[in-house]
Amino acid sequence: MSGREVLLSAHALHVERGRRRVLEDVTLALHVAEALAVVGPNAAGKSTLVRALAGLLEPDAGEVRLRGRSLSDWPRDARARVLALATSEEEGPDTLTVGDRVALGRYPHRGPFQPLNAADEAAVARALEQTGISHLERRRLGTLSAGERQLATLARGLAQEPQVLLLDEPAAHLDIGHQLQLFRTLDEVRQCGVGVLAVVHDLSRAAAWADRVVLVAAGRIAAEGTPHEVLGSTAASEAFGVRIRGHVIPDLPHLHYTFGDGA
Amino acid sequence: MTTPRSRLVLPLLAGALLLGLVVATAAGSVPLPFRGVVGALLAKAGLPVGTPGLSPTGETILFAVRLPRVLLAALVGGGLAVVGAVLQAVFRNPLADSGLLGVGAGAALGAVIAVHLGLASAVFFALPLAAFAGALAAVLAVYFVAGASGRASLQGLLLTGIAVSAVAGAATSVLLVATEEFRVKAVLFWLAGGLEGRGWTHVQAAAVFVFAGVLLLVMLGRPLDVLSLGEDEAASLGLPVRATRLGLLSLASLVAGACTAVAGAVPFVGLMAPHALRPVVGPLSRHLLPAAFLGGALLVVLADLGARTLSGRFELPLGALTAIVGAPYFLAALRANEGRG
Repeated sequence: MSGREVLLSAHALHVERGRRRVLEDVTLALHVAEALAVVGPNAAGKSTLVRALAGLLEPDAGEVRLRGRSLSDWPRDARARVLALATSEEEGPDTLTVGDRVALGRYPHRGPFQPLNAADEAAVARALEQTGISHLERRRLGTLSAGERQLATLARGLAQEPQVLLLDEPAAHLDIGHQLQLFRTLDEVRQCGVGVLAVVHDLSRAAAWADRVVLVAAGRIAAEGTPHEVLGSTAASEAFGVRIRGHVIPDLPHLHYTFGDGA
Repeated sequence: MTTPRSRLVLPLLAGALLLGLVVATAAGSVPLPFRGVVGALLAKAGLPVGTPGLSPTGETILFAVRLPRVLLAALVGGGLAVVGAVLQAVFRNPLADSGLLGVGAGAALGAVIAVHLGLASAVFFALPLAAFAGALAAVLAVYFVAGASGRASLQGLLLTGIAVSAVAGAATSVLLVATEEFRVKAVLFWLAGGLEGRGWTHVQAAAVFVFAGVLLLVMLGRPLDVLSLGEDEAASLGLPVRATRLGLLSLASLVAGACTAVAGAVPFVGLMAPHALRPVVGPLSRHLLPAAFLGGALLVVLADLGARTLSGRFELPLGALTAIVGAPYFLAALRANEGRG
């Protein structure tokens, strides 16, 4: 991965909330076409990290750089054309249709006054197609399941046509079929050079999907490397308080992980 | 996404409003013949048709009394409905209303201060400007008090709105006590909301602010749509969230202040019109705001017609009438909303 261009990087990030230190000395990099999974126990600071990487939260110290340039030096709209964020908590108005929801992803390209053109409509149609929700285009958000809404949020992010895609638990409400569809979509997007950083709750899923895994525990990066290196580390067992074991299963390209009581 | 159904809504509403305007100008304590009203209006518009006109008295009633009042009702209703739709998008709650966020109480206080100081009769635009200042002060107070901790929650905003309304209401009461008795009745009536005795100067004053404000709000429709997705998503789409929100709230206060200045408190219009139309035309501003304007205008034209004609002995306060209809509507909508969430 080191040979590829760095898209997004964090340098010695510190974030405090009140007097509590949420992130401490976090340094990481996301490369072109990379699949980077951020894992960690609850309240480890994963979502804060994603918010800081997306520029929604000003770090107390340290810096985030997007394509080598400090995030705070980017004009807002230019930044939103390069970097997209999708979380599982976003909710548009209930009466908004999926198509209109996704089309708002073109805002950074068109701004407040220019009407959407053919290129915008093509990007929206492509995003709906990639996430497998073209058939929901005219449905209203209020009539969708939580999983379908999540796919609509992802489609909005894809409609931005970003080079960096940040996802906070993108599969939180998805059944297994939609989970597989989601990660297939992410792989498809990566083929075009998009770097994808996703907070992933399911460690097996993270291991199967990611090129690289970053383990965040108590606001620090506790381990970083291939899925095998990170999940097999004592740091991972300690962070989650469970025993993690990898098993070789014939015909499976990656290790299969099981989790037991006690580190 | 325009569906065939939603494309029909604007022409239908416009037609209904036109009909409502004519009916409301014809009806009243002195009924005017419907055909005569249409003929006189068309003649005034430079389209003389063969229909018999009105008597000179009828013409006077139509052009000096009825028409300005009915047009003012339409302006106020349209303006308040657009303000409601904007506040609902900014605060991301389909039940937000200018009344609930202190806009109405603030505007009322500003206007009462202007009346109390005698400014209202001395300076032409003093009353709408004072009402606007009051509305804006209330919105900013709500926005900054609720948002002082960094991120404002919806609950915090609404509860702060109640507190700000209470303070503004208290100040209004104190001012009323301190106001000379002969002025109190006028002020009281004005607080109840009404269009009695409103003429062309009021129409002009309101039209300037309402049209300018509504036009700007419609132009800012797309940022408003982005904002309605929530603060984080709006910011990640490159929207300057704070500046946009402040700009939209200021424009909404301007319109609400102008409406309150000419008509007093007309509650629940900003809630009912957008709430009823959103399921039909969807929440995108470029569809919802024009539809809400027409729907709110129709609502208040009809409510004012009711205020003038329901009782044979006296005029009912317009605000009381919209409250009697609006409060049960609000409670029903609230129940439906909670049942879903």
